[in-house]
Amino acid sequence: MKRHLPWLLPVATGALLIAAWYGLKRLFHVESFVLPAPDEILTAAWRERRALISAVGLTAQGAVLGFLAAVGVGFGLSMFLAFSIRIKQSFYPYILILQMTPVIILAPIFVLWLGQGLPSIVAITFMICFFPVVANTTMGFISVDRNLQELFVMCNATRSQEIRYLRVPGAMPYFLTGVKIAGTLAPIGAITGDFLAGSAQNGVGGIGFMTITYFSQLKTPALFATGMIACLLGFLFVFGVNFLHWFLLHQWHDSLVRKE
Amino acid sequence: MTAPPIVQLKATGKRFGAGPPVLEAINLEVERGEFISLIGPSGCGKSTLLRLIAGLTPPTAGEIIVDGMTPANAREEVFFVFQDSNLLPWRRVAANVELPLMLRRDLTLKRRERVKAMLELVGLGDAAEKYPWQLSGGMKMRVSIARALSVAPHILLLDEPFGALDEMTRDHLNEDLLGIRARDPFTAFFVTHSVAEAVFLSTRVVVLSANPGRVHRVITVPFPYPRPPELRETPEFLQLLAETSRELRAVRH
Repeated sequence: MKRHLPWLLPVATGALLIAAWYGLKRLFHVESFVLPAPDEILTAAWRERRALISAVGLTAQGAVLGFLAAVGVGFGLSMFLAFSIRIKQSFYPYILILQMTPVIILAPIFVLWLGQGLPSIVAITFMICFFPVVANTTMGFISVDRNLQELFVMCNATRSQEIRYLRVPGAMPYFLTGVKIAGTLAPIGAITGDFLAGSAQNGVGGIGFMTITYFSQLKTPALFATGMIACLLGFLFVFGVNFLHWFLLHQWHDSLVRKE
Repeated sequence: MTAPPIVQLKATGKRFGAGPPVLEAINLEVERGEFISLIGPSGCGKSTLLRLIAGLTPPTAGEIIVDGMTPANAREEVFFVFQDSNLLPWRRVAANVELPLMLRRDLTLKRRERVKAMLELVGLGDAAEKYPWQLSGGMKMRVSIARALSVAPHILLLDEPFGALDEMTRDHLNEDLLGIRARDPFTAFFVTHSVAEAVFLSTRVVVLSANPGRVHRVITVPFPYPRPPELRETPEFLQLLAETSRELRAVRH
């Protein structure tokens, strides 16, 4: 019994919550366009499956592209910033300014520059994802162990050797922390981007666009179904970045090695 | 004609910024193949002295000559064993030992064979594919010594390498270190807090006083090598140990 508890408990809690959901809906006579029942949501998801699948595909595309751009540019920028304290002092405030400007204001600007659709969505996702990558990775590049640095001096290491064999691997745990945060933000970024700057073909757009459509048509069960799908996409992303984290660090990093 | 000393310190002094001098007027000539222990109260600058010889920090007074060169230029011939083992956690043991050879692009030594030989020398031939976290403190220190020896340095600087280990492990590593030196002779500078360790290993023990660090006394250890573990129980050894401890107490005010 005891060893089944780890999965039994959440399943039981889920069952209780669903029961309460049905109970409250029945008790207070809540209309389905206000709060649909779980089975109505599943039915709506099945009915709208074609629209939802292509919406998820579109959003995932925006999320992946924006995420990859943020990770790549973030890593390169961090290396540049960590190169000297003067460079960091010169540029960091402007990166902060970029981060502090709300995406909701940046979105129309992107639409003006890039038009409605994927390029704008990617740009918005990028804006949301890249700061955690830059902040963490820069920290990683800067906080290199002093003794290890002196070891490299004793080895007559060149600057590029020091970066390749010391700073990059040393910054990896920090970088991956940034990547993890970016991974949880990417689907949100892409959906927000789609909501603010998305476009549609034949009435089908990304998840953000479908949200607007279903809302305006008062298709509440389909709206909930969209939320459910977005949640799944988020989990997929988190799973992916967690796997990357595990893959790159499991052999040596304290957070993953099991010490007896 | 005698060979020139491999390391010469001439009125060497060091202060950090505008602070008080850490080391003052250090004069020391060390012959090739000597084993010099540096001992003294904390804050006497013994680690700083090692870092000066390594060229990791420049002296602020006097001069240091390492094999006829400035310390920074002599680095090819010198290696440093740091206080903790200072291994790269993401590299396997063999890759850690190989690191200095790779970074220095030393083509005279065959890397793979050299790494293997060094690991066997320190008794860790089986641990080549392990990661540092899988090793005990004593094993990590052995890897660190294998790494230092991989480049066949003429001068080895050891900064309290066994300070964090228990006495039994430390004694073993001391014996091993002398065994390695018998086969691979290098000049050693060894910083320690342990009088017994200093006397057992060295040809000379340099006792430093603190604030500022100066050479208080240099004690010559007459015992020939190889030195068996039983040396530690002989009256002559114990007498020298007592004498060294007395000198150390004298500077500890």
